[in-house]
Amino acid sequence: MKYLRPALLILVVLAMWELAARSGLWNRLLFPSLVRIGAEFAELMFGAEGLMQAWVSLYRALGGFALAAVVGVALGMVMGRSAFVAGLLDPFFSGTYAVPKLALFPIFIFVFGIGSLSKVALIFLECLYPIVIMTYHGARDVNRVLLWSGQNMGASRAQILRRIVVPAAAPFIFAGLRVALPVAMIVVVITEMISSADGLGYLVIYALSSLKTDQMLAVVIAISLLGLALDRALVLLRNRLVYWEKLDAYYV
Amino acid sequence: MAAASLPAQIGKVGLLAAVIIAWQLLALRGLPDYLLSPVQIAREFFTALGSQELYVHAGTSLMRALPGFFIGSAAGIAFGLAAGVSRRFDQTVSPSVFLTYPVPKIVMLPLFMLWFGIGDLSKILIIALACFYPTFINAYYGARATRSILVWSALNMGAGRGDIFRRVVVPSALPQIFAGLRVSLALSFIVMFATEMINSRSGLGHLIQAAEASLRFDLMYVSLVTIAILGYLGDYLLRLARGRVLRWQEPEV
Repeated sequence: MKYLRPALLILVVLAMWELAARSGLWNRLLFPSLVRIGAEFAELMFGAEGLMQAWVSLYRALGGFALAAVVGVALGMVMGRSAFVAGLLDPFFSGTYAVPKLALFPIFIFVFGIGSLSKVALIFLECLYPIVIMTYHGARDVNRVLLWSGQNMGASRAQILRRIVVPAAAPFIFAGLRVALPVAMIVVVITEMISSADGLGYLVIYALSSLKTDQMLAVVIAISLLGLALDRALVLLRNRLVYWEKLDAYYV
Repeated sequence: MAAASLPAQIGKVGLLAAVIIAWQLLALRGLPDYLLSPVQIAREFFTALGSQELYVHAGTSLMRALPGFFIGSAAGIAFGLAAGVSRRFDQTVSPSVFLTYPVPKIVMLPLFMLWFGIGDLSKILIIALACFYPTFINAYYGARATRSILVWSALNMGAGRGDIFRRVVVPSALPQIFAGLRVSLALSFIVMFATEMINSRSGLGHLIQAAEASLRFDLMYVSLVTIAILGYLGDYLLRLARGRVLRWQEPEV
């Protein structure tokens, strides 16, 4: 019963699409039939070519994301625990937060070359912001009573960091990671659409310019499913590691 | 946060100044062509301010980003509030929204180009689509987080459903809505830039792309500085509006 209404909405949308495709009112290029899209999607999923391109995009996105996660969590932790470092770095991060980092891409191409590195670097930069800011907030706002208790019981600085600060900041860290992961997918697709010879973003543009809309839509679906699967995986990991704090029930 | 100590205060401007000075010093030793020194960038930028071209491109870009932002945010707030107060609407719409939330919306651009042409309409709509999600989710949470005791009190004092929505739910959701608007505004600039780099004959994204292709590094940096200033300015104006509208609320930490 809980899934009936949302499923109905999706079914209605799909039925309308198929109707538009079969009505003949529009060109087949504008509304390819679901059957055609499905066939293209199967080819993409099970053909070596499609898997190759998906792999290229995935390793770029995850490479930049993983790098940003390591650097961002470390930076945020230090900022949260040291007022001096926070005073140094916080104006920098909040000042450039609203600036679209994508504008740096042409310069990155000159600095890092036209291959994967410039894309990974841009993904790293875009993902860094939400991770640093959320980790910083989490590490800064640790309940003071817990810190005092730890000190009182003779915990060393390293112990306090490992046993109190990291667990307290963990939900915030994962919230930051969860914002950053879709950003990584967005940036990898955009950069591949702008300048690339491989990857799913390139495949979208390629299919479009050869007017294979059914193939293009199949790639769009593949990218969407990939984004969705990565988000699910991150939530699973989060619930496993941060088991003591429930994720908001609506937003799972 | 405790009051910033003196070294932290110095650090605030210090780091940025140190980076710029180091960059300028490196430039004296000679940088590759594609890295201009800060002084050069500033000079090129002020020269470009005197020409009309920059204003035309910036204007075109804004005429795409802002309508997209307004349409997408308005729809997002309306739907989000509706889903927040109506259980039936919530059950119908919210699952689809949350399901498609992690999907990069920019992949719809080629499809929109087919449907709505390669002109401004497809760009505005894709920006609106991207802006819809953060505002929807924040308005939804804001409305849901309304404290029941406030609603009960209003009911007790004889307020109607419309009154409660207007005088209780919306004000209590406003801080969250502004948080969503801030994300949306930043997103609208990113998507605007992306669409212009992918396919356009005007706008700042096109300018930077054309400058790159013709190795006009000066123009590249001018476009970069312009988009940075616009992004910062938009965010600043939004924070200003937030401060005015939410005067009754404590400032955000």
